[in-house]
Amino acid sequence: MTLDWSIVWDNRWLLLQGALLTIVLTVATMAVAIPGGILLAVMRMSSSRLLSSLSACYVELFRNIPLILIVYWAFYVLPLMPLGITLDAFTTGLVALCLNVSAYNSETFRAGLNSIRKGQVEAAVALGMTRSQALRRVILPQAWRRVLPVLASTWVSLFKDTSLVSVIAVGELAHTAMQIRSQSFRVLEMLTAMAVIYWMLGYPQAKLVDWIHRKFGVKE
Amino acid sequence: MSAPVPPRTGAASAPVVVYENVRKSFGTFTALNGVSFQVNKGEVVCLIGPSGSGKSTLLRCTNALEKHDGGRILFEGVPLPADEKSLHGVRRRMGMVFQSFELFPHMTALENVCEGPVTVLGMSKADAITRATALLKKVGLADKALNYPANLSGGQQQRVAIARALAMQPDMMLFDEPTSALDPETVGEVLNVMKQLAEEGMTMVVVTHEMAFARRVANWVVVFEAGAVIEQGPPTQIFDAPLVSRTKDFLSHLGWEG
Repeated sequence: MTLDWSIVWDNRWLLLQGALLTIVLTVATMAVAIPGGILLAVMRMSSSRLLSSLSACYVELFRNIPLILIVYWAFYVLPLMPLGITLDAFTTGLVALCLNVSAYNSETFRAGLNSIRKGQVEAAVALGMTRSQALRRVILPQAWRRVLPVLASTWVSLFKDTSLVSVIAVGELAHTAMQIRSQSFRVLEMLTAMAVIYWMLGYPQAKLVDWIHRKFGVKE
Repeated sequence: MSAPVPPRTGAASAPVVVYENVRKSFGTFTALNGVSFQVNKGEVVCLIGPSGSGKSTLLRCTNALEKHDGGRILFEGVPLPADEKSLHGVRRRMGMVFQSFELFPHMTALENVCEGPVTVLGMSKADAITRATALLKKVGLADKALNYPANLSGGQQQRVAIARALAMQPDMMLFDEPTSALDPETVGEVLNVMKQLAEEGMTMVVVTHEMAFARRVANWVVVFEAGAVIEQGPPTQIFDAPLVSRTKDFLSHLGWEG
């Protein structure tokens, strides 16, 4: 078997474009899924039974079915709905990722807020603080330190999981590499190139996450 | 049910807190079943009794961390307000010290002590630092100002917590078993700070199992059992000649010989 690595170099601009789209997908998903997660967490912890159960149902549904199924579902089922939503592949992929990651983030935020001992709020209130002062000065600064490392880990997983939307022909890195592979039959070269690119982009992120864990992780 | 209340020595000073038939239930459990006594200005009142007898619940009702269901709690002659907004004003005049310290772990000792004056009283950072530095010195922790709570011993954390409460310049202090979570060797340093406060004339309500402290420092001791006051009086009465046999039983359970 002869290997021809020039196929990778020849397609460098296509691959770069794919890698950029992967990054855009990751950033866009988190940009939606962080506020989405906060909203779901606030709904879940609200005193309204209705809001709380809606949020719980949402989270338990989307956290417990495979992401690839959500991707297919968004692609094939959304357009069949009475609303007749038709979205391009990129937006469909983004919707699927947001549905999934929002559910995870919601649990991250909820766990972060719940992890702060009741005594901390009482200590703040006993000083004469209002609820919102206690939230701002005491709860959020502590919860944030617990939430940030988990969000960072989710980010790294998401970066790799964006490859799943290649199944609906979103032209991100995985899809681009697979396309080149099927046109050139250079299977080993393209899969290796894909692995190297994912690794080179993912490794620094993973190291950054380690650093965040060390820097912001709560030592108690 | 309660023993007669003996005359109060030094009753010339005005009452700071008056408890009138205070009741509190959690579901079907009656935590406080009609508790009445008063705390006068400059007094140290120790609440003693078995665990679960309602001492801490009463203390937490005093600054409305728990809301009492019946009776009245008067602070400086005025019943505790029902609305949260007015309660903030009352709470900032009562310092509270918790069993588990509850220092803010993301702030240094100095920042913990500055937090009340800056956030609640709107004091400038510079003035708050001056006040906080003096208070840390008072509790013997001037050299620990820049330490985070995680790097302080339990006794040191509790002394910072006392300084944090004092920074609001409260009219009275509430102590909820302040030494129960401490290693035996650090209990003394916290009790010494409390004793010093008492000598300076701070009005204090102290829930405690430290009988030697109550005997030496308290002006008045209130004995709780099953949500009720079974006896109250000066420490000489409670510890040397209790009028109620169950007080004697409780003290002998703790190994108190008088």
